Amino acid sequence: MPDPGGPRRGGAGASRSPSFRWSRAIYRVLLAVYPPGFRRRFGAEMQDDFRRLLAARGRVGAWWAVARDLGSSIPDAHAQARARRRVEPRLAPRRQVAPRRRVEQGLVTKGDSPMGSLLFDLKHAARRLMRAPVFTAITVLTLALGIGANSAIFSLVNAALLRPLGFDDPDRLVFVHEGIPQANMPRIPGSAPDILDLRDYQKSFSALAAYRGEQAELSGTTEPRRVAVTRAEAGLFPLLGASPMLGRTFAAEDDTPGHDVAILGYGLWQSLFGGRPDAVGSVVKLDRRPYTIVGVMPASFEFPRRGAAYNATPAELYIPMAWTDFERGARGSMFNNSVIARLAPGVALAQAAAEMKDLGPRIGANYPAAMRRGQVDITLTATPLRDELAGRVRTPLLVLFAAVGLVLLVACANVANLILSRAVSRQHELSLRLALGAPRRRLLQLLLCESVLLAAAGGALGLLAGRAALDAIPAVLATSLPGVDHAPLDGRVLGFTLVMSALTAIVFGLIPLFTTDRRLAATLHEAGARATGGRAGRRLQQGLVVATVGFAVILLVGAGLLLRSFAGLVATDPGFSPDRVLTMSVSLPIEAYPQGADVTRFIRSLHGRFAALPGLRAVTLSTDVPLESNEQRAMTPENAATTGALPSVALTWTYGDYFGALGVPIRRGRTFNDTEDEAIRPVAIVSESLARRFWPGQDAVGKRIKNGIAASPSPWLEIVGVAGDAHDGALGAEPTIHVYLPWSHIVPDLDTLTRIGNSFGRTLRIALLVHGDPAALAEPARREIAALDPALPVTRIATMAQQVAASVAPQRFSTLVLGVFAAGALLLAAIGLYGVLAFSVAQRTREIGVRIALGATPGGVLGMVVRQGMRLVAVGIGLGLVAAAAATRVMTSLLYRTAPYDPWTFATVPLALAAVALVACWVPGRRAARVEPIVALRAE
Amino acid sequence: MRRPLPPLGVPPLTPAVFHILLALADGPLHGYAIMQAVEHSAGRDLRMGPGTIYGSLQRMEDAGLIREHAARSDERRRVFGLQPAGRLALEQEARRLGRLAELVRARRLIPEEA
Repeated sequence: MPDPGGPRRGGAGASRSPSFRWSRAIYRVLLAVYPPGFRRRFGAEMQDDFRRLLAARGRVGAWWAVARDLGSSIPDAHAQARARRRVEPRLAPRRQVAPRRRVEQGLVTKGDSPMGSLLFDLKHAARRLMRAPVFTAITVLTLALGIGANSAIFSLVNAALLRPLGFDDPDRLVFVHEGIPQANMPRIPGSAPDILDLRDYQKSFSALAAYRGEQAELSGTTEPRRVAVTRAEAGLFPLLGASPMLGRTFAAEDDTPGHDVAILGYGLWQSLFGGRPDAVGSVVKLDRRPYTIVGVMPASFEFPRRGAAYNATPAELYIPMAWTDFERGARGSMFNNSVIARLAPGVALAQAAAEMKDLGPRIGANYPAAMRRGQVDITLTATPLRDELAGRVRTPLLVLFAAVGLVLLVACANVANLILSRAVSRQHELSLRLALGAPRRRLLQLLLCESVLLAAAGGALGLLAGRAALDAIPAVLATSLPGVDHAPLDGRVLGFTLVMSALTAIVFGLIPLFTTDRRLAATLHEAGARATGGRAGRRLQQGLVVATVGFAVILLVGAGLLLRSFAGLVATDPGFSPDRVLTMSVSLPIEAYPQGADVTRFIRSLHGRFAALPGLRAVTLSTDVPLESNEQRAMTPENAATTGALPSVALTWTYGDYFGALGVPIRRGRTFNDTEDEAIRPVAIVSESLARRFWPGQDAVGKRIKNGIAASPSPWLEIVGVAGDAHDGALGAEPTIHVYLPWSHIVPDLDTLTRIGNSFGRTLRIALLVHGDPAALAEPARREIAALDPALPVTRIATMAQQVAASVAPQRFSTLVLGVFAAGALLLAAIGLYGVLAFSVAQRTREIGVRIALGATPGGVLGMVVRQGMRLVAVGIGLGLVAAAAATRVMTSLLYRTAPYDPWTFATVPLALAAVALVACWVPGRRAARVEPIVALRAE
Repeated sequence: MRRPLPPLGVPPLTPAVFHILLALADGPLHGYAIMQAVEHSAGRDLRMGPGTIYGSLQRMEDAGLIREHAARSDERRRVFGLQPAGRLALEQEARRLGRLAELVRARRLIPEEA
């Protein structure tokens, strides 16, 4: 008879490397595939046999021996188990007794009927969780944070990037943009004659329609107010697949001048007419001109969509495009009509794009020869609607999304760690239960109940947190994010995060069940030494702590970079002084102010009235104020250092003390004087950057510049002053080169613009510099305007400081969110670290007691625990920094004057994290140092 | 419907059953020892890993050929021994194989051993 004990052959394995930890672990896992009965009966034997095989034949030999064995014996064992189940009822009639009676007879505990046991276990699990309130609270909060933040942010991403657009087959819709490369304008809206040509020439689209956003004064039924109007060609609505809920959309004959009809958006229909159907046929006044309402659009119709580069304000009201003959002939100007088109059946986007590329020069050839000599090339590009709408917000949202993903990972790692700690501490109890005959299935159910309860509580709280976050986010978010103002909480995401977190809780909750020994002897043996969770369990926990710390580092670095960038942004010199400046806006309707002279008269009167207001230091009326730019034109400098393309220049017409009111410094020369506001003199003030660009190293004062190409009939304008560079876009964007002109220059243009129905120059921005609180002046200023024209709505009343804040709102939001996430991750990492150390200290109480009894000082014990924790932190920080260096590169486009490897951030984050971690280590360390040897030893 | 398998203990026995019964002929053994004994008696032709061994043992126990013995106090492992039916089946199979061996030898199908 062979020796049942040791290995017979080889023998080498026995003396050297006898553990084969991984092989045995893998084999143990594989055993799970056998039927439960078989596993219960033979599992331990088979593990033992495999250990002997390993010892006798080495890793390769043992696996070779069992590989085929597993393949053939597993199906066989299952077949046997099935056969047994069929036979068993006959063999064991006792099982037929009704569960309840068996309970009464004392045969079994309540838990043996499936439903009864589930309820029983749920109650039991709930009681157990209540008894560990700290563990339960931390786990539930962690889960809630992970689930809530994730579902909220994903819902936002979903709304902004993935949401159905509400148009027919939106993936076939494209924007067509014109471009003038020489003017550094690669993508601009279209000019009417070019669009008409495009419609004639193209073959890629089944339909093509132009539209243009405008603001107009709405009156006639309510208090006058400004509304967002979209001029739309009749073909726009069928192209989008939109039908009205009342009345009709535009017919082709509406699309000619003189047909003053309008379609109401749902919101305006509700607010003006209370949703009454008799709105159709009513008359409203737009810029004091009557329009007949012919239809109402449904609530689901939102067009134009936010997020597009141009004409992106959702309209409250639609009127026909009705290009005038002037517009139809305005070759090379009035590039303000957006074009949307639907790909013809069978035409791919690439084909359309190629056709646009060919058509650009063909349309350019229709330009008058004089213009073509002025180096104007026309290009056309086709951009899918979805790309255009999502393009600008994609990077920030994806960074946000990645941050949330990291938070979910941190949350899962932490939940795993918490549950593992708890489960490991229960291993002894589980072993005892198993040894005393509890079926594994019941223990599984008990553990599952706890995990599921935790996940359910976390999920419920997460749902609330997600809803709250979604309600709060649009409030802080700038309007630049399309579609987020009514983003619903996405059910699928909620489900996904819930399942992810629940799975984490369940998987890690069940681990002890698979590592628990059912044999009483082993259990009682271990009882003396206390279950330690085993090296593998501890390793897993340590790995999770390292991972948590690493993820926290990535988030902290990301947040740190954004914070640095934001601080830099806010500290940017805007080039003007926003303090104590109040701005507002009025638009003078053509009907009431038909002539340019009427507009000027209004401005002169208003300026006079404002100047008489007490507390006012300076006042100006202009076509735009800093942080915005309403007009850009190509201009030609005389004797300039540059060659090639005509530069695009931001233009502002000013009346009054523009530079004084807005604090834009005059570096050289002088400002405009009153006579220049009233009568055209060929003068201009330019920005420093323009002067530097065209006449580097020279004094720009005295140089000349003109509108359009050198050959244009516009007069040369003498530069009388050089102003500082004021931001004319959001902070963070480079200011464009700027030319300021006295108001008088626009007056002749106003008459031309009026004839063609263009209202540029009639929207006046007013800036008031005051001595005290600028907001306090809003009411008096409004009264002065009402005194001149009581029907004129005053809009955009805001201090300049508010506008500065609004211009950095998206960055503030990103910084805030990432900061909150990073703080959350830091907190979670600290909790995880604390949990692992506290648990380890509790387990090692006896050992620590012995150490202290043998003379270890409290300081030494504290140091030991802290070192144990900080070692993990150091590894986590190291790995996290490496990962962060790789991850933050995608953030480059979000950063303002901050390198993705910003040394300040990369140095501060580890220090901050280490400081927090030190506290998390210190607390359990102190507890360890305070262990009383006697108590520790008696505890066993 | 599948044809029911013949009872496990009726000759001809499957090689696995035969070799396990053979291993247990000298007295009860635990699984690993059976595995080694089978390897010794059957050689390379019949390699049985733990799963196959215990699957066969369970099936043979169901057929009444073997039973699990109460383990000795110092022995942690499950030990299996022959039942009378098992011993009978082994004897019958051995006789059958013996007759076959005689036949083979009489027909001189394989060279005589030296």
